[in-house]
Amino acid sequence: MKGIVFDIKELGVHDGPGLITTIFMKGCPLKCVWCHNPEGQSFTKEIMVRENSCRHCGLCKKECSHPECQPYKRCLYVCPDNLVKEVGKEYEAKELADYILKNRKVLDGVTFSGGEPLSQADFILEVISYLDGLKINIETSGYASNEVFRKVIDRVDNVYMDIKLADEKKHVEYTGVSNKLILENLEYLKSIDKNVTIRTPLIKGITDTKENITAIKELIGNLRHELLPENDMAGVKYHMLNKPYFRENADE
Amino acid sequence: MNKKLFQYYILDKKQKERRIIADEVSFEYAELGLTEEERMVRRFEYLMSLEEPFILEGEEIPFVRTVSNTPEIYTEDEWNELKKKHYIHESGYKSNLCPDYEKVLKKGLLELSENGSDAYKRCVSAVLSLARKYEEEAKRQNRVELALALHQVPAYPARNYYEALLCLRIINFSLWVEGSYQISLGRFDKYLYPYLKKDLSEGKITEEKAYEFLNEFFLSLNKDNDIYPGVQPGDNGQSLMLGGKDKEGKYIFNKVTKMSLRASEDLKLIDPKINIRVDRNTPEEIYTLCTRLTKVGLGFPQYSNDDVVIDGLMKLGYEYDDAVEYVVAACWEFIIPGVAEDVVNIQALSFPKVIDECLHNDLLKSETYEEFKSCVRKEIEKETDENCEVTKNLHFVVCTLLDNLMNYSDGKPKYVNYGMHGVGISTGTDSLTAIEKHIYKDKDVTKEELIKAVDEDYQNNPELLHLLRYRTEKLGNNDAIANENLKFLVDSFGEYLNNIQNDKGGIWRAGTGSAMYYLWYAEGIGASPDGRRKGEPLATNYSVSLFADINPLSLLEAMTYPDLRKVINGGPLTLEFHSSLFNDEEAVKTVGRYVKKFIELGGHQLQLNTVNKERMLDAQAHPEKYPLLIVRIWGWSAYFVELEKAYQDHVIARQEYII
Repeated sequence: MKGIVFDIKELGVHDGPGLITTIFMKGCPLKCVWCHNPEGQSFTKEIMVRENSCRHCGLCKKECSHPECQPYKRCLYVCPDNLVKEVGKEYEAKELADYILKNRKVLDGVTFSGGEPLSQADFILEVISYLDGLKINIETSGYASNEVFRKVIDRVDNVYMDIKLADEKKHVEYTGVSNKLILENLEYLKSIDKNVTIRTPLIKGITDTKENITAIKELIGNLRHELLPENDMAGVKYHMLNKPYFRENADE
Repeated sequence: MNKKLFQYYILDKKQKERRIIADEVSFEYAELGLTEEERMVRRFEYLMSLEEPFILEGEEIPFVRTVSNTPEIYTEDEWNELKKKHYIHESGYKSNLCPDYEKVLKKGLLELSENGSDAYKRCVSAVLSLARKYEEEAKRQNRVELALALHQVPAYPARNYYEALLCLRIINFSLWVEGSYQISLGRFDKYLYPYLKKDLSEGKITEEKAYEFLNEFFLSLNKDNDIYPGVQPGDNGQSLMLGGKDKEGKYIFNKVTKMSLRASEDLKLIDPKINIRVDRNTPEEIYTLCTRLTKVGLGFPQYSNDDVVIDGLMKLGYEYDDAVEYVVAACWEFIIPGVAEDVVNIQALSFPKVIDECLHNDLLKSETYEEFKSCVRKEIEKETDENCEVTKNLHFVVCTLLDNLMNYSDGKPKYVNYGMHGVGISTGTDSLTAIEKHIYKDKDVTKEELIKAVDEDYQNNPELLHLLRYRTEKLGNNDAIANENLKFLVDSFGEYLNNIQNDKGGIWRAGTGSAMYYLWYAEGIGASPDGRRKGEPLATNYSVSLFADINPLSLLEAMTYPDLRKVINGGPLTLEFHSSLFNDEEAVKTVGRYVKKFIELGGHQLQLNTVNKERMLDAQAHPEKYPLLIVRIWGWSAYFVELEKAYQDHVIARQEYII
């Protein structure tokens, strides 16, 4: 079956143990206001332009005949600095597995990240079925039905799951969804014997409050907990997608 | 670290104020009609006699230059005459060699020169006279132990670890004064450890004190390096080798190895340039230790792979007992201490130029890619031959002290091989890939269209530029087409050159280093078929193109695809990682494991640099804020703000890998 990927990064030193290739699956049910991979939110292809470095030669705005360029009204095949890119590539599961296995000799494992990899659970399960001998890791928001969650978690070696906000109302406010499913899935992680790391991004004024961190610590019990600093560079990508960034709106 | 010394020599650079300038000597020597050796010895005696002893309070490894120049032994006319008869390499003086430090430490200069020539004895006595002056100065300052040590070395054998370090410093100092340059410091942990081991076992020194001496020795190599520039300041070849097998195949990793890594990390200076030999059995912990040093951002250590290098050298005719002792010359060229007088950087082949010639002369008439490739192979051979031809009748100025500190039997070196760099291999590979793919496989670009676009620097064909530059396989991404083209270039160059003899009775050695040619050779050609525009620099050494995507894991497999034993003149895979990649111990371990994989896969040499683009850009704007910001250039590290802008810009333009 097919899946959609927005990036593939090699040597993700923070995405799992050893030498890892990280697959960023495109599309996410959450819309965290601070999201540092906004191109991972939509499930469809989109255009990203690094306008900051643009020298305004105008070449990409001239009419072209490539069908895939037409929706964007910009040519993807001409920028002299490669600033105009389509983000989102569809793969057959076997095709993606082959791409990963190209580096078989050096690879220790693969990490599925996103976006939300569980939103394309059947696809990643098929990819995993071709990756015998590699360690499989997942980075997830935990937002998936219990059934889907268990199905995938049972096939992976290391789990990195976010718990962003303990309070349900705030969770809805800042991520667009309730944390009910996430907390149910957290219970499952606590009940199994698996290498689990819970991560909380420290977003100033939103998740980094003392109440929130204390409440999260209580929820996760004995699971390992990592606090991640806010990514200061996140705003750049919003410009490239021509989307508003919450920090800048707050300033206005 | 001795903070006072650091303040004086490194931060305040006060030693500069004490320097005087020596007089011209060449006209006098010419008038007297002196032989070359007599000129060299006289100049050495003269310069050593001008040197004044200077010892700071608490300084235990003294010797600092108080004469800032080395006047020429020949007049300009005489040089021109020589050049008519001979090929003169660089400045004409010897470089990129490694003396036999072990014998100096064991015997001392007096015993060594006992049966030597008068010239040698005069050099030794010039060294000892200066040592005597330092001894007197030490006595004057009531520095009894220092005075005693200076009474012993370098005249007599080093009796302990401290005297060994002091002796090394004096030898290093004296060789620079003699006028040779880029002289390696050899297998430092191998020859030094026996002294430390003995002192420790006899309870004569503590490990901490031993570390302080070593730290000060390292610092001492930075007192004068501003007057020892090569192409750029920092290019001085004070390279030091750690680790590696011994003759019995046992891996060396001792307390001196560890202290050397620690001292480099503590001092954060450009000298000595740290190299380490590893092999497929080197444990992961050693890579972790080395990666901690990499993280500091000095461009150290550089790794060499014993499995590949020793084997490669033996294939070139080096005996095992010699090959196993290899070190690196100034940058990365593999040399044998004591016995070899190889000239490892005598010429350089430009792969982009080869492809450019074939693009214009052979593409139109080549009906298949195989045909085109055979033209490329012929062109490589032709240019290689031309490079070899110009080096005939090479003459080096005799360097009496250096020559005698080698370990030649009957005064003759055992090896007199020449090394040729292979420059721009990624641009060459990517150009071949572009031609193979678009002209012969997909046939979506015509030959005429490609030649025209290259000649017009892609001005009138931005679509083709985009296609070739960004949408065609590039070396480093582990695509079969690019891997095969890389292998083709390595094989064509290595297999041909390694079988050519030079006119001194030695052989030629092919390499993957670039030295400064990555800028120089980019100027000689226009745009290239990989979408490189006219004037854009080539990548340094054995690295991927400046505009290729960096995929670090793919890159390991791609770059180790060819048999690198064929290009064992040296030249590392050079990689830039952003400093943020190393932000925790787990990440440091992972990067260490990454290096280990490269070695296991048969990589020959690796140069891993930690960079921070934002910091470099800020340093260009505000140099005063970054006097000690260090970057790696092509085979050496330098203070960023002291470099010419073209070299600064190149480091900034290299793609850093960032997560």
